[in-house]
Order: sequence, then structure tokens, then C-alpha cells
Amino acid sequence: MKSSAWIWRITASVSVIVTIVLILGFVYAFKDINNPQGEPLLSGGEPEISDEEAAPAKPDQGPSLPALPKDLKVTAIGDSLAKGTGDNSGSGFVRRSVDQMNGDGRTAKLLANLAINGMTTEGLLPKLDDKGIQYALKQANVIMLSIGGNDIFQGSDLMEEATSPDELELDPAKLMGALPMASERLQAILEKIRLINPEARIVYVGLYHPFSDLEELLIPGNIVVSAWNQAAMEIVNRDPNMTLVPTFDLFQHKLGEYLSSDHFHPNGAGYQAIADRIVQGML
Amino acid sequence: MPLIKNECIKIIKRKRFYVVLLVLLALVPMFTYAQMKSAERSQEKFNSDWRLELQQRITDNENSLSSDRVPDEWKRYRLIFIQQMQYYLQHDVNPNQPNGVTFTREFLNNAISLFIPLLIMAIASDIVSGERTTGTIKMLLTRPVKRWKVLLSKLIALIMFTSLIVLSTYIIAYLISGLAFGYKGFDIPVFTGFQIVGSEVDMSGVHAVPQWKYLLMQGGLVWFVGICIGMLAFMVSVLVRSTAASIVIMMAALIAGNILTNMASAWSSAKYLFMVNLNLTNYLAGNLPPIEGMTLNFSLIVLALWAACAVIVSFSVFTRRDILN
Repeated sequence: MKSSAWIWRITASVSVIVTIVLILGFVYAFKDINNPQGEPLLSGGEPEISDEEAAPAKPDQGPSLPALPKDLKVTAIGDSLAKGTGDNSGSGFVRRSVDQMNGDGRTAKLLANLAINGMTTEGLLPKLDDKGIQYALKQANVIMLSIGGNDIFQGSDLMEEATSPDELELDPAKLMGALPMASERLQAILEKIRLINPEARIVYVGLYHPFSDLEELLIPGNIVVSAWNQAAMEIVNRDPNMTLVPTFDLFQHKLGEYLSSDHFHPNGAGYQAIADRIVQGML
Repeated sequence: MPLIKNECIKIIKRKRFYVVLLVLLALVPMFTYAQMKSAERSQEKFNSDWRLELQQRITDNENSLSSDRVPDEWKRYRLIFIQQMQYYLQHDVNPNQPNGVTFTREFLNNAISLFIPLLIMAIASDIVSGERTTGTIKMLLTRPVKRWKVLLSKLIALIMFTSLIVLSTYIIAYLISGLAFGYKGFDIPVFTGFQIVGSEVDMSGVHAVPQWKYLLMQGGLVWFVGICIGMLAFMVSVLVRSTAASIVIMMAALIAGNILTNMASAWSSAKYLFMVNLNLTNYLAGNLPPIEGMTLNFSLIVLALWAACAVIVSFSVFTRRDILN
């Protein structure tokens, strides 16, 4: 039985060695999991990014807008509107406008949609420090931003109570009091995005008033929303490469047509209307 | 020694080990292909920019956190996932760089709780009851060797083959996936040492480990699980007369364990069952354990106890029982 002897020799030696190695691995893993040794991590050098940061953010771009490149790379960030909540097809204005801009010798691509439902200016500001988000913003040459709706309407809280308008506390004075803080944060957000990506076109989507069909909310809401839009416009106007896309007038008389069943977010048609506006301003 | 030798040759000659290798050779290409397809798709969507893809994944997970329809345990799991992925992004390391080594790592992470145990069972379940089915056990026991020695030789042979199975799984997974993804990637850093406290991840212990070292640690854990499953299958093999029955028993236990892991987080005493403790590599990767309160040491002790009991039972039964038929 010569072959048996061979089999035995090979299997025995291999298995003994492997067993020892695996036991070593086991002991090592055991130690490592029980006493993890944190070590100062050398964060991998990112030459591309530091280069970009080192490059001076061209201050003298001139009064005219820099020409839009032929291949648009879009990153969206912000709240549920940017995400497309309420749109049955899930596209939202971001994907709709990207699709629309595609063609005509131009390519448009959605790099990433980083919008999160219920996002407020307060939540977004620290998010901009995340490396991944910074990276996605840096790669883009068009940045779409939608934020502020939740700051003003307190997001879903109000929506859930919206069935009984009497309980709504949309006290204009109180809202107006919160406005300066929120618009200050909006300014900080826009400045930060500009710092992260000095060249991209930034498209800010203005607010509309989703409750203007409720009599109690019509006037106070209108006041607050237009005050917000006004404040946003003032911030946006300072940068030649930023645009505010107004939506207030779009929805004003077409709430029934443009709002989804939650009576807060736009539906597909509403998003399409916003996307049309964005594209008009871009091309 | 001669007895162990005899057992090893028997295992090889009866082609059990070939079956294991064949199964691996047949299944690994399937996983590789599936992985390749998904890599292709993400390449289409994200232009193979992993940072964008990862960030999108983080955002998607964050979005699902606000949904009321998502169970709380999933939310915790996702919260931890988000924090880990952010850590990877923060340090500019791609956690899923497609290459043969990463595939091997992922494959074994998924294989540890069911696939590897099944392979080991293929050998372990047969080792005693197979002799009984064919009747050769009488010949074995009529020799002037003590019964416990016979059994011990079988046990040692089993341990040897457990090691071999783990090794061959690694080699086959690496070789085959390397065809598709390339053979590089041993030096890529992998982060380990995430400590989960509630739904927060403590990052203080996190450190980077080169991937080959990670594979080694993982191999050790897989091996431990393999040994424990081997012992249990060994016991069943001693207790039950036919090989088929013993395989069915072990398989049922394992599959039950897999189902339990997915749904039993409410039944906390299930954590004392061996089947839910198989996923040792979870602790290495820093995933949320299936049931609250489980740690590596806990799982190791539970597994070791089950295995020890199995060995004791099999020896005491085997040395006393009459061999009929």
C-alpha cells in the first residue's frame, strides 16, 4: 500500500501544520477582540483632495457665470424634497431634472443623492464635515440643495396633526423668531458647500407653502415662507454661481394638483414642475 | 498513531473528502459569478467610485432609520453599520475593494454559520455510524485495542480533516475568485476592534489590520466553530445508527440555528444554544450580535461547553455500548 503511505504522510503533515496555524489565528483573534489595541491611524493621504483645497478658490470669477460643462455631474443633498418623497416613481426633482438635461450633446449623471428625510439646516450643517459627503460634493459640478422646509414646518409633526387644523400652532411671530437662526445656518451651509467645491453650480430650491389651502395657515404661512425665500435669495445672490429656483408660485394655486397624498410633499407632477424650472435655469 | 493513520486513509479512500472538495469547487464559482454581477452593476451606477457608492449606502441607511416600519433591531444594526462605514470613509479605506482576498474574507464570513459546518458534517457524521452501517465496526473492535483508543483516533482524524477543510475552503475560494477579481489584496487594511455599546460604536479600540492577518484570525475562529460542530456531529454519529439519520439531525439543528439567529432576538435565553453562537467572525467585524449580551467569550464558552459535553457523551456511550447487528 504505497499510495496509502503517501496519502497518510501528506495529509498528516499538512493537517498538523494547518491546525497549528489556525490555532495561532484563533488565539490572535481571541486576543484582538478582547483587548483591541486602538492605534493612531494614519488617515490615508488624499492628494487629489488636498490639491484641490490648496488651489485658491478663485475669487475673481468675473460677473458672468462660468459656462456649464458638457458633462454634468450632479450631487443632491438636503431634505425629503431632494430625495423625492411623495413621488410615486421615486425620482423626485433631482432625477427628473437630470434625465431632462441628458441629451442634446450633453450628458448628465446623478453621482449621489445624499438627501435624508426630515433633514433640517441644523442636521445638515455637521453632516457637511463627513468625508464621504465632502467627497461626493467635490466630484460634482452641479449641486442641488433643498433645505429649510422642515425648519419652518417642523417636518412630520405638523403633517400628522394637519388633520385638525385647530391644533396647529403656526404662530407667525414664533416662526419669524426662529427664522433668523435658520437662515443663518442656511448661509453657513451654502458657504461650506462653496468652500468644499469652489466651482460647482449650486442650485437651491426655494420653499413653497404646502398649507395655503387651509384658511388658518394661509396668511402666517405665506409670510414665513416668503420671508425665508427672501432671506435665501439674499444669501444666494452674493455668489454668481448659485441659483435659487423659486417654487412658491408654482404651488400657490395648484396644491391639489401638485401635492402628494401626505399633503406636504409634491407628487410626481409637482416634482416635474420643479425639475422643469431647474432645467430652464441651467441650460 | 497507526490507528489515526488508518482513520485518515479511510476518510480519503471513502472519498468523503473529495465530496467536500467537489462541493466547494461547484459552489464557489457560483458565488463568484454573483459577486461579479453585482460589482458590474455598481460600476455602471457609480462609475466604480467606491466613495460615492459607500456614501450613498450610508445615506440610504440613514433614510431607512426614520421609517416606522423598520423594526428597532434592524435600526440598531443599521446605525452601527452607518458608523462603521463612516469610519472607513473617514480614513479613506474601501471596505469592499473587489479582489480575491476580499471575496475570500466575505465568503468565509457568510460561510461560517452554515456552509462550513455542513462540509464538516459530511465527514463527521459518517465517521462512526458509517462503520456501523457497513458492519466494519465489529472488525475494528475485535482487535486488541482499547475502545477509547479507537474512538480517540477517529476524533483526532476528524480534527485533522477539519483543519484541512478550512484550509481548502480558503484556497479554493481564493483561487477561483482570483480568476474574476485578481489575486492581489493581501495588504489592504481592514478595521477591527469596533466595540458596540448600546447602539453606539466605540471607536477607541479600532485599529487597522492587513487583510492577510485578518484572514488568519478569521481562519482561527472558523476552525474553532468547525471543531465544535465536528464534535457534536461526532456525538450524533456515535449515538445514531445510520449515517443518513445523523446527517439529518445535525442539519436540522444547524438550519434551526440559522433561522433562530434571524428572528429570536426577543428570546434571549436562546443564546445558550450552540447554533446561534456560530457566527464568531461577527465579533471580528464588529457586527451586532444576534441576541443582546452575546460576546466573543460568551460564544466561545457556550461552544466549548457543548463540544466538551459531546465528547464526554460520545466516549462514555461508545465504550459501554454493546455492538449488536
